[in-house]
Amino acid sequence: MSKTKVDHNLFWNREISSKLAYDANAPIVKEAKIISLSDVNDPSNRPLNNPADGLPQGSRLLAVGGSIEEFDIEMLKREGANTIFVSHPLAREPLDRLLQEIPSIEWIHSRSAGMDFVASPTLASFQGKVTNAKGLYSSTLAEYTIMACSYFAKDLPRLLKNKGAKNWEKYNVLELRGSTLGTVGYGDIGRAVARLAVAYGMKVLALRRRPVPDDLCSVVYGNDKESLSRLFAECDYILCAAPLTAETKGMIGKEQFDVAKSGAVFINVGRGPIVDEDALIEALKDGRLKGAGLDVFATEPLSKSSPLWELDNVLLSPHNMDQTATFTYESTSFFVEENLPRFVRDLPLLNPVDVSAGY
Amino acid sequence: MRLTVFVMHKTRQSLRAAQRRLQSTTTATAPSYTWADPARRHYKFWNRETDVTGQYSYLIEISPESLQREARILALGSDEADAALHQGPLPLGASLLGVGNTVEELQQNVDKTSPNVLFVSPNCPHAANVLPQVLQAFPSIEWVHCRSAGIDFIESEELVQLYTQRLQSSKPLQITNAKGQFSSSLAEYALMACAYFAKNLPLLLEKQQQRSWHKYNVEELRHKTMGIVGYGDIGRAVAKLATVYGMRVVALRRHPFLSRDDPYCNVVYGRDQESLHQLMRESDYIVCSAPSTVETRGMVSAEAFQHMKPNAVFINLGRGPVIDETALQKALQAGRLKGAALDVFVEEPLSTDSPWWDTPHVLISPHNMDQTATFMHEATEFFLRENLPRFLCGEDLLNPVDPVLGY
Repeated sequence: MSKTKVDHNLFWNREISSKLAYDANAPIVKEAKIISLSDVNDPSNRPLNNPADGLPQGSRLLAVGGSIEEFDIEMLKREGANTIFVSHPLAREPLDRLLQEIPSIEWIHSRSAGMDFVASPTLASFQGKVTNAKGLYSSTLAEYTIMACSYFAKDLPRLLKNKGAKNWEKYNVLELRGSTLGTVGYGDIGRAVARLAVAYGMKVLALRRRPVPDDLCSVVYGNDKESLSRLFAECDYILCAAPLTAETKGMIGKEQFDVAKSGAVFINVGRGPIVDEDALIEALKDGRLKGAGLDVFATEPLSKSSPLWELDNVLLSPHNMDQTATFTYESTSFFVEENLPRFVRDLPLLNPVDVSAGY
Repeated sequence: MRLTVFVMHKTRQSLRAAQRRLQSTTTATAPSYTWADPARRHYKFWNRETDVTGQYSYLIEISPESLQREARILALGSDEADAALHQGPLPLGASLLGVGNTVEELQQNVDKTSPNVLFVSPNCPHAANVLPQVLQAFPSIEWVHCRSAGIDFIESEELVQLYTQRLQSSKPLQITNAKGQFSSSLAEYALMACAYFAKNLPLLLEKQQQRSWHKYNVEELRHKTMGIVGYGDIGRAVAKLATVYGMRVVALRRHPFLSRDDPYCNVVYGRDQESLHQLMRESDYIVCSAPSTVETRGMVSAEAFQHMKPNAVFINLGRGPVIDETALQKALQAGRLKGAALDVFVEEPLSTDSPWWDTPHVLISPHNMDQTATFMHEATEFFLRENLPRFLCGEDLLNPVDPVLGY
């Protein structure tokens, strides 16, 4: 099991971390020459692509584009472009080309938390700094996760069906209090969920690559198969909040659903390909899982022919449970207001990513 | 007092009992328990989550030494949740004399020994009529414990008269209830209802039906304002969760000073109309957890609803009669608020022709959002293991209610 090589003290959380906490008096020692690999028409990118008050001192936007054709590579090489801001969904190939052609690139920042959309061998061997938007979406996803647990605990599908049938039928509800929540992947999202779960009186078990004791969790498991099966056997609610990496791909499947505790509910806010979707559908159909709250899928948008649409024990959302009106705008602002000023002063950048690990 | 049952106690238990007795005789008031929560100023109210760490235990050791009096119990109304009461074992000094739904049934079952405790279950039919009759037929009853939290089902003019008369006599009547028993389940429901509308589940479920992948913006609960009308144990449990979500909490209760130091509320209002309107103006999510009393009936009026924010969500988990249902229905039909979640109604069960079934943007539940498989069993256990031992040992009873106030 490889260890991550990033400094966890540099992880930033929108709710808890201080804003603008860098030393503004530290001298500016270099210029940030930025390539914005993004959609110029996306208003969320305005703080970078079209800032009303200009960029922070020492930063200069060289070019904006969504595909490699829109860039004048020679110009970028001449100018010594050193920073790439990535937010375009189809950025994988253009990013690869830019990295190969422009040797002066020393920093890549992703507007999203997930790095799987740009993962590639070129990126994996990139020697410079990579940062992302972890910690920006966690509390919204935590709210969704607890709601999904409650959705099944209070049997909302039944409630809604009864309303349609004008049926006043009292039935027993379950409490979250006293139940056990397991989280696969204990990063910022997992921790935000744990914070809420503990307030509800739930017991939290976490599974992560570096198992260290945590004040919110009763137990922290390491990332081995046996621990994963134990998690499924011991938890009433299992959350997948892991990133998609070579290690996590397909990690949850039939083997885990076979040992799931009776009445278990599975929630996925990480990435679809972590789960074997066919196995998931089977487990939902035959009752090995009581239900599932799914915000992410192997292929998005989810094909109309997927059986997931018609299962009445599935709460299905179109990868929008972190999509507030302002979240992407806030993410671009984070790059402009937090990391750009740190870069030009050669201060440690927030939210470092270990490209060899993929997250 | 002659005790016909011989009880063996381990030496340590007897010693502890003796110590406790010593404490209780040296202090004039009941022994002070260490409350986990310093903002709880009323030691006499019990909360299932904070006052017992997940397990029931005798707080009071009952030994032949600590026993001050017997408890001769009558049960008015009963169901299988009362099994612990019927099958026992009961604490030392307590006995169940009889069970029934009417005075006649109770008189049949009860022998000459006069009962002093009455345990009332909400499933007793016409409880409001029967209760004063029972109290008059058995004037030796000095304590009535109600298995539910709401006492509106036993409230009546006669009861108020009886209670007031007895206050002046040598044997005042004590009435206690199950406050604090159901709060955390209802708090979970309240936050779920908030999130249900914040994440726009009605739209989500509609699109799911249509197999339509339609991305839309969701709202956060963080930094929104929650207004709680009726800030008792349930209101507090809701506020506790809301605070963890990062919401701002505005509470409304009869005695705002009681919550002055409460860490879960940002502002506390009194119960005047203007304060209620102010709360409605400020809140994105309103939770009504007030009991139904003479004062609260119809309190959330048409006028109050008019002060709501256009995007507000209204949740009622207290009692139906506290709100003006017609006004709320009209507001929902007109789209003047984002939605409502109702667990309680004026008419329960709702008949099939009730307008609620067809009212849009409302989540309807059949007064079951606190109905776990064991909730009533636990309420009976609370009587058996918390209040009954206190009665037997001459200690103050928990969860006193005042029938004049209605809660």
